[in-house]
Amino acid sequence: MSEQNLTISMDRDNRQLKLADEKIAIQVKDWNLFYGKKQALQNITMDLPENRVTAFIGPSGCGKSTLLRCFNRMNDLIDIVRVEGDMTLHGDDMYSKDMDVAALRRRVGMVFQKPNPFPKSIYENVCYGLRLQGISDKQILDETVEWALKGAGLWEEVKDRLNENALGMSGGQQQRLCIARAIAIKPEVLLLDEPTSALDPISTLAIEELIFELKKDFTILIVTHNMQQAARVSDYTAFMYMGDLIEYTDTDSLFTNPQVKRTEDYITGRYG
Amino acid sequence: MKEWFKKGEHWIWMSSAMVALSVVLVFGLFGMIAYKGMVHFWPHTVYEYQVNNGTEIERVVGEHRDSKIKEVFDVKGQPPREVEQLLIKVGNRDVYGIDFRWISADDLVAAEPAIADNAVVIERYEYGNVYGWYKTLTVNGQTFTGDKLVLELEKQVDEGKRLHDEIKSIEKSDIGSINYKLEQLRLEEKKLKAEDEWNAEEEQRLASKRTELNKQFKELQAQTQVLYKEQATLGEVSMTISGGQALNVPIKNIVDYWQPNEMSMADKIGFFFHGMGRFLTEDPREANTEGGIFPAMIGTITMVLIMTILVTPMGVIAAVYMREYAKDGPVLRAVRISINNLAGVPSIVFGIFGLGFFVYILGGSIDELFYGYALPSPTFGTPGLLWASLTMALLTLPVVIVSTEEGLSRIPRSLREGGLALGATKIEVIQKIVLPMALPAIMTGLILAVARAAGEVAPLMLVGVVKLAPELPVDAIAPFVHLDRKFMHLGFHIYDVGFQSPNVEASQPLVYATSLLLVLIIVGLNLGAISIRNRLREKYKALEH
Repeated sequence: MSEQNLTISMDRDNRQLKLADEKIAIQVKDWNLFYGKKQALQNITMDLPENRVTAFIGPSGCGKSTLLRCFNRMNDLIDIVRVEGDMTLHGDDMYSKDMDVAALRRRVGMVFQKPNPFPKSIYENVCYGLRLQGISDKQILDETVEWALKGAGLWEEVKDRLNENALGMSGGQQQRLCIARAIAIKPEVLLLDEPTSALDPISTLAIEELIFELKKDFTILIVTHNMQQAARVSDYTAFMYMGDLIEYTDTDSLFTNPQVKRTEDYITGRYG
Repeated sequence: MKEWFKKGEHWIWMSSAMVALSVVLVFGLFGMIAYKGMVHFWPHTVYEYQVNNGTEIERVVGEHRDSKIKEVFDVKGQPPREVEQLLIKVGNRDVYGIDFRWISADDLVAAEPAIADNAVVIERYEYGNVYGWYKTLTVNGQTFTGDKLVLELEKQVDEGKRLHDEIKSIEKSDIGSINYKLEQLRLEEKKLKAEDEWNAEEEQRLASKRTELNKQFKELQAQTQVLYKEQATLGEVSMTISGGQALNVPIKNIVDYWQPNEMSMADKIGFFFHGMGRFLTEDPREANTEGGIFPAMIGTITMVLIMTILVTPMGVIAAVYMREYAKDGPVLRAVRISINNLAGVPSIVFGIFGLGFFVYILGGSIDELFYGYALPSPTFGTPGLLWASLTMALLTLPVVIVSTEEGLSRIPRSLREGGLALGATKIEVIQKIVLPMALPAIMTGLILAVARAAGEVAPLMLVGVVKLAPELPVDAIAPFVHLDRKFMHLGFHIYDVGFQSPNVEASQPLVYATSLLLVLIIVGLNLGAISIRNRLREKYKALEH
């Protein structure tokens, strides 16, 4: 396990990352979010780089999950939520009236905290998103399922039992299946909301390796409670506190040389 | 002892006693209905009683059907004496006038009745059973007695049954279908006249069709005439009955005949199942006191199935709207309360509503709009299968809505989000994820709805159930399911046979047998639905953790 970690961090260390050099996938400007009268996110402005892993850390209730759910408009489901500000995905206004929410969610995939496979076969779970788009060509489906399961590092384990019910898999496998399901529709951005919090250390490691692989194809945004995880897998890290974005920079700088006192307190474990 | 109470042991005992009581009640009820209903099909032994009727000793031959104790006060002031009263089915209604007779044990010459050797029971299409002995069989002037009689009788009765079935088949399905077509032609003519499109060409066309049908009708009638004539040549069997009189039974009237006292156990069991089969497949006879209950069974099942087809979409759509789309608030709460209260409305009120709204207002409007040419005779503006099913659907709607809502509320939020995150719209998530997973709950609602609808009688009496329907609601004539027809129903059949029948004793076993069948149909429908539900539950069980 330590050897794995070493290779990952070394790989990142070789390149000096600078936010200014990156291509930007999502641009957030003066973003505010209210639950009824209570404000949950305050004036958040940040650029999220393409084909990089960006981690959101911070104590419980700081708004990091809420912010993540803004990227695929999952907060629309809650009646009392109101948002202000601009958010663009590759230049497209995500919150404009003309934006088809379902289409946006096909561009921004999401994996949740608790594995939530559908009570269907493994195969049907992975091609669910494709079937929604009306794709029923068996060959395309087969190829995509294989590609997505390989991408999620699950192919070898399940290739002989694709027609078995997904609920019969272990928690870690289920979560990787959810990742396969999300990448099968080839989104531009993949949101991971504490993807390993319900998993054991071995499954966690598998998912972390997977995240590292996936960033070649996808822009990955991950919310995590686990600072070691953020340090291991992410290129950039945003620290949030009480609905504010406190500090946002490349991961190495944030963990080795935090500019804000609150960030330092948090990452050194003084609170949170 | 004090500790025993302190631990609450007495509560445990009391609750288990209550459970035991419920179980005993359920099985007792079912056992009684089953026993009393099944006995009807068992070949009863025919006894011969010597009865002293004051002036002479009378022979009474029949089946012992029931006993009860009567208290007789012989001497004033003394405690009463218990005397057994026997209910004997003596049959031969055309001779005696009644086919059941109470005999007091006091009047019996011998305490134990003698088994009537070689006694024959003949079941007839009219006038009930005959109890007696073979005397002679006359066929085309030839007379048979003894063993030859038995052989010849079997042949003749088989032939008689064949002719009877053939006549019935021609009259019911062939001639029935021609009558139906003629009626349609008559309506078509009325319709054309009402729309002012009646011209010589149409008249010609309908007349030629009518001539064709009338020709077919004549042909079929001629066929039946031949068969009727053949029936008349079957001859008749002459029986000696208990008073010593002779009773002539034409062969064409015989449904079945047997000698119960000469039957082996295997014969009796065969007879038992044969009788049950006939009960299920035959039409009722003699004001429903004899024969089978086939039309009532078909009517019940058809009504319940149509009710299910109507109530499922209504209930599920309403529940989906209330749970998934409607905004929580005082209005939604008021609607929920109303729906729950709807479940408590007495069923006869639904019947009145069905009659007033569905039959008269809705049916009346349909008639005026589409069947105006047929008026004043109503098509849908009269009680019928469709209105009965709709009324029952309304009656069971709250059950389906409530259980579907329960099911929907139990689908985890994470699964809905999973679907939405893949780019599904809300309606796609509901259709493809939420509803399939809520199926077990929907099935539970349907089970309750079916059980309630199949057992309900009161509202049906107002909206379409009749004592005797001339035609089945489903048959081979297009459109196969006739929603405008009146139909028979097992629940109403029980009420009618048991309480509106001129022949109470004869109908009593039928009431039990019909009740048993009704219970079995409901249990069967429920078991089917439960097994489907359990299979579905098994599929989603892993999600519950």
